[in-house]
Amino acid sequence: MKYLLKIFLWSLFLLLNVFFFWGASFLIQNSYYEMGIVFFALLFLIDFFIFNPRAYPYRYIAPALTLLFILVLYPIYFTVKVAFTNYGTGHYMPRQEAIERLLYDPNYTYTIEEERSNDYKIFVVYDGITPTEDFIVFFDLNGKLYLGERPVPTRRKGREVLLSESALYPVNGEQIQINSQIYSLVPWTGQLEDVKIITAGNKTYKAFYSPKDQFLQINSPYFKSKIAQQYLYKADFVDLEGKKYALRVTSEGEWQFVRIERLYRLGYDENFENGKIEMRMAIYNNKTGKKVMEKDGAFYDKNDEGEEIFLLGFIDYVGSKNFLRIVKDPKVSGPFLQIFVWTFIWALLSVVLSLAVGLPFALVLNDKSLKARNIYRTLLIIPWAIPVFISALVWRNGLLNESYGLINKFLLPLFGLNPVRWMNDAFWARVGVLLVNIWLTFPYMMTISLGALQGIPPELYEVAMIDGAGKFKRFTAITLPFIMAVIAPLLVSSFAFSFNNFTIIYLITAGGPPIPGSTTPTGYTDILISYVYKLAFEAGRGQDFGFASAISIMIFFLVGGISFLNFKFSGAFEEVGR
Amino acid sequence: MKKFFLFILLFSSIFIFAQSKLVIWCSEKQVDILQKLAEEFKAKYGVVVEVQYVNFSDIKPKFLTAAPEGQGADIIVGAHDWVGELVVNGLIDPIPSFPELNQFYETGLSAFSYGGKLYGLPYALEAIALIYNKDFVPNPPKTVDEMIQIAKQIDQEFGKEVRGFITSTAEFYYAVPFILGAGGYVFKETAKGLDPKDIGLANEGAIRGVNIIKRFVDEKVLDPSDNYQIMDSMFREGKAGMIINGPWAVKAYKDAGIDYGVAVIPNIDANLVAKPFVGVQGFMVNAKSPNKLLAKEFLTNFIARTDTMYKLYLGDPRLPARKDVLELVRDNPDVVAFTQSAANGVPMPNIPQMAAVWGAMNDALNLVINGKATTEEALKTAVERIKAQTQ
Repeated sequence: MKYLLKIFLWSLFLLLNVFFFWGASFLIQNSYYEMGIVFFALLFLIDFFIFNPRAYPYRYIAPALTLLFILVLYPIYFTVKVAFTNYGTGHYMPRQEAIERLLYDPNYTYTIEEERSNDYKIFVVYDGITPTEDFIVFFDLNGKLYLGERPVPTRRKGREVLLSESALYPVNGEQIQINSQIYSLVPWTGQLEDVKIITAGNKTYKAFYSPKDQFLQINSPYFKSKIAQQYLYKADFVDLEGKKYALRVTSEGEWQFVRIERLYRLGYDENFENGKIEMRMAIYNNKTGKKVMEKDGAFYDKNDEGEEIFLLGFIDYVGSKNFLRIVKDPKVSGPFLQIFVWTFIWALLSVVLSLAVGLPFALVLNDKSLKARNIYRTLLIIPWAIPVFISALVWRNGLLNESYGLINKFLLPLFGLNPVRWMNDAFWARVGVLLVNIWLTFPYMMTISLGALQGIPPELYEVAMIDGAGKFKRFTAITLPFIMAVIAPLLVSSFAFSFNNFTIIYLITAGGPPIPGSTTPTGYTDILISYVYKLAFEAGRGQDFGFASAISIMIFFLVGGISFLNFKFSGAFEEVGR
Repeated sequence: MKKFFLFILLFSSIFIFAQSKLVIWCSEKQVDILQKLAEEFKAKYGVVVEVQYVNFSDIKPKFLTAAPEGQGADIIVGAHDWVGELVVNGLIDPIPSFPELNQFYETGLSAFSYGGKLYGLPYALEAIALIYNKDFVPNPPKTVDEMIQIAKQIDQEFGKEVRGFITSTAEFYYAVPFILGAGGYVFKETAKGLDPKDIGLANEGAIRGVNIIKRFVDEKVLDPSDNYQIMDSMFREGKAGMIINGPWAVKAYKDAGIDYGVAVIPNIDANLVAKPFVGVQGFMVNAKSPNKLLAKEFLTNFIARTDTMYKLYLGDPRLPARKDVLELVRDNPDVVAFTQSAANGVPMPNIPQMAAVWGAMNDALNLVINGKATTEEALKTAVERIKAQTQ
């Protein structure tokens, strides 16, 4: 039995090893180098822990270590990395990939208009009655006959084939030799249409598809989906003179081979720098002969009129530009202070007020003489149980709406008060979001207070009562310090949570009402995170992940700093508790 | 040992390689019909087409994260105003021209064009129009003045229990018909496409357009707090005489048993026609998809055909993008009325710079209707803000 278990565990370990190795090599193949290295490092560490007797105790932390690496350290690393780049709309791919696209993508080719009397016929080896993917192409290009074998990949990136090529061999007679393989065409009349079968060794290629042949039209779907899509789409057929032919869909919707030329090529550029001539790689436009410009993390080409045309952007290192933008760009830093102050007020009031609502409820519920406490507690926890998205929208449209909301329509007139402009008045909008947040978080405060209350030894109260302390005195001298010692750290985390509580703000007011005269999307209820979200994702040119990352890092340090101070501060409570 | 590694590498490659199927992301409305069409395509081409339901508002963000990694759908069904952003990111591919391209409405094609190339196959147009409840409004108004008059009448008669006219007051999209109709424009249209440097949202026409919204508010026809949800639910409950909404909302009104009619948005005056934004729905091809050629074939030789487009219409009745399909659906008065409205309209700009316009203009409208700024000031600031963010 023990033996079996051992085998099982070892095979599990082997499986884990295989998984990590497979994962790492897969990631590296697809150029996720960092993550791949993380996987390899983990693999090494785990094996080290298992096989080295002295590292025995570490094996128990291996799972935690794995999760730490993958779920915590890597995202942090990634955020920091992105913060120094221009990653965002228009800059989505690595530079290498942008160059590869320009060089090999079928979109960046142009056709050379010649006499278009091109015709072609696909010959396929059959397996029984089903066609296989072993094929050759027989061309009639401007009256000359050529044979081309199945293209083989010549440029790859990881597993992705960027470009494949095949040579075109002129056909002059019944037989033709290609790489020691002799192909014979039957029947041979010198016409493309007439050839029905091509034999090579013991293989027989049968006529399968030709755009002009009525009888072969039936095979068109198979040709398009299996042969053209998989083998011909990124393939060039090159003849002896170096002319390239490729399959393109013409404007009539026909799939024809046309003579093409790549729009861009790699070239070398002589730069005169510091008295030395330096060679630098550059991309040239084959059609105009002009160099492709590279600036602000993107490639630009010039058209015939000399105007710059955006081609492709790539992810580029921009240094501390994103961080400096927070300080230097007046559009960003302008309303920053106002929003910063409000963020503090919002987070502080959210915590203090919801505790002020939750604690009394907890005290009442903790009273043993209260009947049916469980029912009250359940009812009071409901706001916490409803998804925030739903309750926020109910508040916005059902309660706070200026003309149809319950508060303005029934509650305030009941007391003879004027309706309040919840969405369009700066002060009341702030009161509104606070109100919703208090409603959503007081059950949490109540629950943690209840938990803390359980821990107070009843003897303390008895002693206090004997000493003649009144209810209020007992509360301030025993209950409050005791609770605080327990819940103060939770309050700190709840402060940090409110500080970044994007959802509430965004769902209820979306930051509004707007601050007049501001050139950035700013509103009176915007907190830092919602302001940043608007700046990074809703303003201007779409997404700006680099900038957003920079700000997140800044907010991380801000919240971290506040939490640190708060923990020190709450440490004081703990002393009292002891 | 080396051989072992090679073996594992090879082994791992096989897993991901052997798949040749098209994946489509579309929103709820097209799922059923596209699944049926996918079966037809499979029967003909032997290629599996997997139709996946993605929330409409999630398609673009999801595509933006998945596509650069070489994942994500081969084809997405989305709105034309995504085109600019997706093209700039190099994520969608141009669609080759095909035989019956001239059967498509020019509005749809130009909406999906960027830098002179077609990047999407339009299948449905979308524009807001005036939807009225025949119980309260027997004849739809022709001009804004008439509309205010009718709305006031209804308001008085029912003491605001039934509202004469509701629309989303502080939302740019619903104010656009008046702004563009009076002579405003978002980005100047040039021969080479839209010019993001020339913004016409603070010109005389735009001011006049926004003043119409302000007039609605001043005359107490509209309330600054009216929003889409209120408009939609009140009309559905039969408590609104007229609203401005799009074809997507109509089915709910029909289901609710409202006797509604659809008409073009009232003219600003005798000569100025209201011009709503026209949105176009269409199919786009992932530029990094390994099945690009097949995806384009699927669109140009299958989806674009009259019969497929008609089936799409039957499955998801929106304003068809093909002229001959509209002929087939002439008997649906809603579709004809919405198409008329769309014919007056202007395609929503499809360049990424449009992102800055929404927030800026919504805020400007908000300030104007709440009396926090004059129309001129608010629009001037809005244009400055758009310029600051886009240039």
